[in-house]
Amino acid sequence: MKRQRLLANTFLFIFLLMFIVLPFVPLVLSSFSYNWKWPNVLPEIFSLSAWKYVLFDNSGTWQAIGTSLLIAFIVTAINIILAVPAANALVRYPLKGRWLFEAIIFAPIVIPAFVAVLGIHLTFLRFGLTETIFGVVLAHLSPTLPYVVRAAMTSYNTLSIDWEDQARMLGAGPLSRFYHVVLPHLLPGIAAGASLSILISLSQYLITFIIGSGQVMTLPILLFPFISGGDPAIASAYSLVFAGMAVAALLILDLALKRYYKKKQAAASKGVRE
Amino acid sequence: MNQLRIIQLEKKFEDRKKDENPVFSLKPVHLTIKEGEFFSLLGPSGCGKTTLLKLLAGLEQADQGEIWIGETEITNVPPESRNFAMVFQQPLLFPHMNIEDNIAFGLKMKKVKRAERIERAREMLGHVGLKGYGQRFPDELSGGQQQRAALARALVSDPRVLLMDEPFSALDPSLREEMRILLSRIHQEFGTTVVFVTHDREEAFHLSDRIGVMSDGNLLQVAGAKELYEKPASIQVASFLGLKNILKGSAGKFGMENRSQQVELADSRKSSMTHLIIHPEKLQLSTDLEKQSTAEEIIFEGIVKQLRFNHGFYLCTVQTENTLLECSISSRQAETVSIGQKVKLSAQLKGLHFVSR
Repeated sequence: MKRQRLLANTFLFIFLLMFIVLPFVPLVLSSFSYNWKWPNVLPEIFSLSAWKYVLFDNSGTWQAIGTSLLIAFIVTAINIILAVPAANALVRYPLKGRWLFEAIIFAPIVIPAFVAVLGIHLTFLRFGLTETIFGVVLAHLSPTLPYVVRAAMTSYNTLSIDWEDQARMLGAGPLSRFYHVVLPHLLPGIAAGASLSILISLSQYLITFIIGSGQVMTLPILLFPFISGGDPAIASAYSLVFAGMAVAALLILDLALKRYYKKKQAAASKGVRE
Repeated sequence: MNQLRIIQLEKKFEDRKKDENPVFSLKPVHLTIKEGEFFSLLGPSGCGKTTLLKLLAGLEQADQGEIWIGETEITNVPPESRNFAMVFQQPLLFPHMNIEDNIAFGLKMKKVKRAERIERAREMLGHVGLKGYGQRFPDELSGGQQQRAALARALVSDPRVLLMDEPFSALDPSLREEMRILLSRIHQEFGTTVVFVTHDREEAFHLSDRIGVMSDGNLLQVAGAKELYEKPASIQVASFLGLKNILKGSAGKFGMENRSQQVELADSRKSSMTHLIIHPEKLQLSTDLEKQSTAEEIIFEGIVKQLRFNHGFYLCTVQTENTLLECSISSRQAETVSIGQKVKLSAQLKGLHFVSR
């Protein structure tokens, strides 16, 4: 038993090392290199110039990070507000043609986003929504919403209507029922959906590029030209910044969730002292 | 008087595919439940008892009819404003709250201050025998304890009516017995009006002041336990209550082919009554084969087929001319009879009960 466990752990460790840690090594090396070219296995000259450019020169990195996160969090908030009632309706009500609604909501997973975005672009041009953060937020909804709806639906599926009936019998109105009974049950699902929504929104390039028309500078927009032919050292540095940003965003979400649960627990244990 | 009046309450459930005939319907129910009464709805599953309970709770909307509590009509009042409480089959304690907060939930919804809420919740915990369990979370309690907490939660906000939907059916038998005793005591202490849904005859008989027997969406008979047992209104009620020795008859004649073992009804009930019920304890078993039917007593002849021990007495099955009769006898008498023996069963004509279909 113990040996098997050790073996499994070793494999897992090697797997993680190979597929997650290892790819970062050349990235880190590259970001600190200067003019690293084939056939050199290691860079000949190390330099901080790429990082200096990314972090300190007037390259707009910090602003792009801010814009990216702002868009991602607004998109996710709108997604949650849209997805919870939608999931409620799709799961709870005997809807005629339910499959059609589901198909429409989940279509963006199957159909490449830019197909729709080309059409959306024309409409947005007419409404003057292009080149605005708001327009980009709206465009980001379509590839992210399906995941949040999916997660919320899964949560609703495991919530029997009896719970709400029980709360009603105890005198809880619709808002109290949602806040005290439904929301705590949905929260883990919503958190999962929100993480996906944040990550997908952060990594959008094409949609942001088309709708934002180069005026809404998110990190991927900033990063792309360097990957497709600019300085590889700067591209590497940006990639690392991007990964850091995504991890940080998830950590923030995780922290918020933990704080919520802590508050709950604190409220529960407050009863002891009283 | 805060009696609960149900006036011609009716509900149909349509099949979504075929709109023509309803899948299930609750036939008009007319019923008055007194304040402080323990009223049970008894019936097999799918008979409409839970539907009726949900209509009372307001969780389902009636098609027709009215519900009144005292002088107020509440037919269209939403459940959260009725001030009724309900205990479901599952405890349904909110998993993210501890027991105290669960019990205080109803009070919180009524905007009672936290200190008072907690105090009342703790007091109620004592009543259901869960003193000191307030800080635990629901998943740290056993099934029986959870259902006790659910009961406390229902009672703490002093509901006008307590509705219970088979609350003990998920518990094992010994726990069920314990919960019955607890509920009985609590009902006496608080004097709350209780409407209790169950398919368990013993449970209904043990707890209730009155019982309404339901079948196929009909309320068949409303009576106290004793009356239901001794005088079921119809053959349906009798068979659901599991009554033994139901003899079919016709034209006022019940019993065996043999005239001497036949009960005859000569009065006006003659044509309407189709069955005769002889309760097992009303049959006297005797090994004296000389006994004959008289004007007050009917005698059946038969052979002992089976002797079954049953909680301190024996149930003796006797094969008569064309039917099996069961009679209960004491252990001491059981020692004097053996399987295959010829015996006579006698019953006082006065104690016999006739029913119509």
